[in-house]
Amino acid sequence: MSTATALTDHETQLAALIIEALNLEMTPQEIDPGAPLYREGLGLDSIDILEIALVISKTYGVQLKADDADNVRIFGSLRSLNEHLQQHRSK
Amino acid sequence: MSFAAQAWAARPERSNTFFLRIIVWVALHLGRTAARVLLHPISCYFLLFSTASRRASGAWLEQVLGRHPTWVDRYRHYFTFAATILDRVFLLNDRFELFQLELHGTDAMREVHAGRTGCFLLGAHFGSFEVTRAVGRMQPGLEVSLLMYEANAARIGAIIRTINPALGTKVIGLGAVDSMLRVRACLDAGEFVGMLADRRLGDEESTPVTFLGKRANLPAGPFRLACLLRRPVVLMFGIYRGGNRYEVHYERIAVDGDAARLAARYAERLEHHARSAPYNWFNFHDFWE
Repeated sequence: MSTATALTDHETQLAALIIEALNLEMTPQEIDPGAPLYREGLGLDSIDILEIALVISKTYGVQLKADDADNVRIFGSLRSLNEHLQQHRSK
Repeated sequence: MSFAAQAWAARPERSNTFFLRIIVWVALHLGRTAARVLLHPISCYFLLFSTASRRASGAWLEQVLGRHPTWVDRYRHYFTFAATILDRVFLLNDRFELFQLELHGTDAMREVHAGRTGCFLLGAHFGSFEVTRAVGRMQPGLEVSLLMYEANAARIGAIIRTINPALGTKVIGLGAVDSMLRVRACLDAGEFVGMLADRRLGDEESTPVTFLGKRANLPAGPFRLACLLRRPVVLMFGIYRGGNRYEVHYERIAVDGDAARLAARYAERLEHHARSAPYNWFNFHDFWE
């Protein structure tokens, strides 16, 4: 694993949310904010991504949609997902 | 709409494509009766030369029949497989009038469709998928998308277009980060999403079930997905009964949020139908571990 860069507070919150939703056995600090969430990196599959999208819509009021051409970038890392949420959050 | 893509995808391909094209050509030019004659040499060829699937076929027959399969059993298994492939050509062309269909559970399907909630259709490598399209014919406006790998979809799409260029197949490609977001979008639009739930691909996560008294591993994904999105789940089986007879079963099963329980129910119903029609089992690889 690469040496994890420090997480911002928002990133820590999001990481904790993901860990809880997916029952991952790790702490937020163990997630590398720059590493991919899907497949390599955190090793999530597309059903995990859907679970994340469901909790995100509840917690942040942001709907992650299927037809967003930016999905690969948005889910590219914890950092990019968090940036997207902070820009669009309604909660 | 069509389950065709999924069914073609389900096959152990490679050299089969060659025979597939022969069957398609003969079926389209000479008709079903002539093409059925050809199925005999083709079945013989595969019975003699496809070592891996012959072994899998033998293991299945031994397990389900409870005795050592004879060559007659083995031949019947191969011929049934070939016959359903041939009939796909006609079913894809909407030649439903050639067949005697016995439909079960259509009320459940109508009800689900009327609810506009979207629905998961779970099938297996068992019997014929095309024949389950009968439901689409009775319900105008019903859209079905298939969840499958796009590489398969492309190859299969090419074959289907040679049979019926007008047939559109909607496919949700697996393997993209937002594949499941697309599944949800289809369901939200009231569409049905079809998937095969009896075979794992590669190192896909698995869920154990008991099947014919032995432990088997089903893919965990379809059941997890159905529980997560809490949509109705309908099982569908199109069983070939010889001649031009098919029996189609749609069965709605309860979803309570427990994926392992859903998988067990699926396995139970699949076992029930597989026992009633053992030669319709087209999972030509070792189903158990």
